[in-house]
Amino acid sequence: MILRNFLRHFPRIHSRYLARALALASIGIVSGCVTSTIDQMVFNEPREGIGNSTVVILGRRHASDYDTEPDFVECVGDHISSGDSSIEVIGELEFINEFYPWFEPRTAPLQVADLERMMTNQPVVAEKLAALRTQYMVWIDGSTVQTDSGGSMTCAIGPGGGGCFGFGTWSNDANYEATIWDFSESAEVGRISSTATGQSYMPAVVIPIPIIAPVQGTACDGIGDQLLQFLSSRY
Amino acid sequence: MSGSMTFVPDTSGRAWLTVGLLLLLLAGCGPAEVVVKGDFPSPTMEKLPLTIGIWYEPAFANHEFFDEAKSKSDSSWLVKTGEAQVQMWDTLLTGMFERVVPMKGLPGPGQMNPSVDAVLIPRVAELQYAIPAHTNVKVYEIWIRYSLQLVTTGGDPIASWTMPAYGKTPTAFLQTDQGAVNLAAVMALRDAGANFATSFSKAPGVQAWMQTMLGNDQEVNL
Repeated sequence: MILRNFLRHFPRIHSRYLARALALASIGIVSGCVTSTIDQMVFNEPREGIGNSTVVILGRRHASDYDTEPDFVECVGDHISSGDSSIEVIGELEFINEFYPWFEPRTAPLQVADLERMMTNQPVVAEKLAALRTQYMVWIDGSTVQTDSGGSMTCAIGPGGGGCFGFGTWSNDANYEATIWDFSESAEVGRISSTATGQSYMPAVVIPIPIIAPVQGTACDGIGDQLLQFLSSRY
Repeated sequence: MSGSMTFVPDTSGRAWLTVGLLLLLLAGCGPAEVVVKGDFPSPTMEKLPLTIGIWYEPAFANHEFFDEAKSKSDSSWLVKTGEAQVQMWDTLLTGMFERVVPMKGLPGPGQMNPSVDAVLIPRVAELQYAIPAHTNVKVYEIWIRYSLQLVTTGGDPIASWTMPAYGKTPTAFLQTDQGAVNLAAVMALRDAGANFATSFSKAPGVQAWMQTMLGNDQEVNL
């Protein structure tokens, strides 16, 4: 009923509500920020970058309750490539298909020793890795989850038009850890963790205005920056 | 006086619109159908120096899974995996064994089949699926339990074992339920391939058979 009256008087109150929506949006922009923490522990950092070697970034998907999002893995790869175009990052799907069935959730090596064993038992895997000049393998483990949400929103459509009214809010937590394996050393040479938390808002006065906190993007930038520092000679 | 009468069907826009709407309504009554389609990579591994035969029973090659709606708010599901199953197993076996030969019939006495070292007969013993509407978890999942049999061309059993496969995909933005179920099924088939490729030589009965075929001194390591 309230919404019907609202839609009937929409032209009159349009400008007033629009101003309020903009005010709410601006409050949201101020509040919709992200808190991020980065921890890193690396050894044997290459002094002059990785040269003409390649790096592959893979997501862990062996846990039953979450999967590392392919989008996140791609985001980190893109961040590295855009930060230093001389670093060749092999695409995750391309790599997994090329080495099927050795990097599937069921079979992916969890330790460097498992990879060594795989290469000993399957020389063809070792040959392909050598052909790709892969020196570093980065495993990303984690996910972004929605932790809580609140508010309510009602949408309706009538002969004169439609619209929404209400307010919604939710928060997201991103928690990722990148583990770096060095093939030349046959060892794990670093761990980088990134956590980010942010609150998103969606006020709606006729038109819903999503004010999204870029939680996953912030975590991606955090891990990407640290990996660039490790892999690139320019950073 | 003679004349003829010609019936001209009503091809006006309104008629077509009515037919279209009726078809749309009827389509809405049917089950959600998924014909599983995907690309399956060839395995990167040392090929076993064996000639393996493969026999797909019609129930396997045309495998489909039907789940009837439990309530009015649910929809029935028909998931057709047969074509994708054959595609995956053909690609996998061709990459695993030196030679793969399709059989003409179920191996057994009197059945004329090409001569091979052994014949693999895969069967789907069970398939289950879960969608967010069932579980309230934003994940689409498919479980498949295979029953695998390795027999001689004469039909004598060499080994028999079961093998699980699992695939899941998270709720994806702008992806239909059908698209997500298809992706989960493709993941389950990839998992089946990975499981088979890495566990074949360890299956009960297979290790002993392989040692007989390849010689006791040959270490079988997959």
